[in-house]
Amino acid sequence: MVSKQLTVSNSQGFHMRPATVFVNAISKYKSDVTIKFNGNDVNAKSLMNLIAACIKFGSNIEVVASGEDEEAALDEAVKLIESGLGEE
Amino acid sequence: MLKGIPVSDGIGIGHVRIIKNKDVKFEDKAIPENEIDNELERFHDAVKVFCDRTDKMAKEMEKSVNPKEAEIIKGHIQMISDPFMISQIDDQIKTGVCAEKAAATTLDQFIEMFSSVDDELTQQRATDVSDIKKRLLRILLGIEEIDLGTLPPDTVIVTKELTPSMTTEIKKENIAGIITEKGGITSHSAILSRALEIPAVLSVPEITKILRDGDMVIIDGREGDVLPDPSDNDIRNYEKSKADFIKEKEYLDTFIGKDTVTADGYRKEVFCNIGNPKDGVTAVKKDGEGIGLFRTEFLFMDKDSAPSEEDQFNAYKKVAETLGGRTVIIRTLDVGGDKDIPYLDLKKEDNPFLGYRAVRYCLGHKDLYKVQLRAILKASAYGKIWIMIPMVTNVYEIRQVRGMVERIKTKFDAEGIPYDKDIKIGAMIETPAASLIADILAKECDFFSIGTNDLIQYTMAADRGNADVAYLYKPYFPAVLRSIKNIIECGKKEGLVVGMCGEGARDPMLIPLLIAFGLDEFSVSPTSVLAARSCISRWSMNEAREVADKALSLPTYIEVEEYLKSIVRK
Repeated sequence: MVSKQLTVSNSQGFHMRPATVFVNAISKYKSDVTIKFNGNDVNAKSLMNLIAACIKFGSNIEVVASGEDEEAALDEAVKLIESGLGEE
Repeated sequence: MLKGIPVSDGIGIGHVRIIKNKDVKFEDKAIPENEIDNELERFHDAVKVFCDRTDKMAKEMEKSVNPKEAEIIKGHIQMISDPFMISQIDDQIKTGVCAEKAAATTLDQFIEMFSSVDDELTQQRATDVSDIKKRLLRILLGIEEIDLGTLPPDTVIVTKELTPSMTTEIKKENIAGIITEKGGITSHSAILSRALEIPAVLSVPEITKILRDGDMVIIDGREGDVLPDPSDNDIRNYEKSKADFIKEKEYLDTFIGKDTVTADGYRKEVFCNIGNPKDGVTAVKKDGEGIGLFRTEFLFMDKDSAPSEEDQFNAYKKVAETLGGRTVIIRTLDVGGDKDIPYLDLKKEDNPFLGYRAVRYCLGHKDLYKVQLRAILKASAYGKIWIMIPMVTNVYEIRQVRGMVERIKTKFDAEGIPYDKDIKIGAMIETPAASLIADILAKECDFFSIGTNDLIQYTMAADRGNADVAYLYKPYFPAVLRSIKNIIECGKKEGLVVGMCGEGARDPMLIPLLIAFGLDEFSVSPTSVLAARSCISRWSMNEAREVADKALSLPTYIEVEEYLKSIVRK
């Protein structure tokens, strides 16, 4: 299991469009990917659960990946979040 | 007459069609074990049909409305395709629950989750899920979807809430108006009706019960009025305003993309007033030539602590980039005792508008102010940003802010942080004190921007909110006109750019005067850009000067107002 803490930097947070970008990218990995936020474990491959979690700009989160390709999954997740989830 | 929230301009006259969007009823039957596989297949087939239909709708919408709105619909495919939600529904079906019940229960959970979050955008997603649920159930039950595509011409759609899937089918030439019981200015219903350019009034309580199918109704999307059962006279009047509205809109549209010039060729600029980065996008869309007033208070409201330099920098940078090199005038924090921002420790005052506010407060809280100035300066590397100081009364305030900016510049130079070395610093002229010393201020400022709203209030010593003195709160008083004239002339004498960012800048009665005085930049709300540009184009300098001379010679505001009314050109 690998994990990293970071802060959400795009202005919309995990709203519809950014969350879709994220889920589509992360779903191709076999590992389980979870976002720890506000005391909850949110399944990072579930768009509906991500939206319900209401992760906003400035939220502190921890991304946890566990499975055979966990390093690659975490790496891409972190890169995506740090680069603003495809927001212009 | 009934009142609602006006969200999409125009007048609609037509016959009511109530669109019921109530929950689809289904029978909750248990599935015997040997049929469970069939039930699972039935559910997955329905999801597939849903996705195919939705995809088709999105494509239609891209053609008829625009790609951005189509994305809302495409999002429905993404949502229903969530593998974890699907397997949650599958699991229920496997225990013998029918597909309808399993889907409804799960989707209801998400509707509940989304609407209980204290966040407007997430709450709006609940509308999407509820739309998905109803459409999926209809597919499972074999009920045809409501076909809005076949509604006859001059239909006024009346419904609880306009859902994204409803709007894709609408033939906009047949729909005269939209009235809903729910939704505000940023709701799906609002965004979609604006995109379709159909007049719409939202949040009219109980309207689906008050009106009946076939009733005649008039809606006014500018005022938010709904007029059930209109008289022949009403219809004639509204037909006329409708025709005028369409004619005016067509005329104003001819000004899109044009320079702002007077009838005899003097170049002016129409800028926009905005309150957040999103408005910047609207300003560009509505053809604003720059931002004349970017209010920064939104960054400070509804928070537990002051926004960080990073947060502020991102917001300012975003607007600078959105405007792509056009001027963005950022007004530094303008708060006082009338606002409730706990962490700023703003004391309740007897006279908050004459109190510790705006630049006075900021210069007394330099740590807070420095963060904002640093963020603005940093963002200046990404576009053309000017700094505007609110509520200036004396030169010392300008010097203090300049001093702070210079010290930040020196720091940035040492740290190699990029910024615009020629960043302009100007004053918002909105106090009689500033107006009286405009000649002195002009020597220390790079630009002026006249804030008419406060200038009138302070000049006339009349509280904007007090109905008993409201008659004094008008720009047509000789005292106000003289003040404006003096400010513009003092600024122009020193070669400054002089703008105006209050209501006055869009007033067709004042525009000839402002042209005559020499105003360069008129900053208005995004929706008024074309109207202001059109009005400016109707006046030559000579004609404007004649009007100004005459107006300034009249002793009472009543005469001034009457005279200016008589010469209005749009």
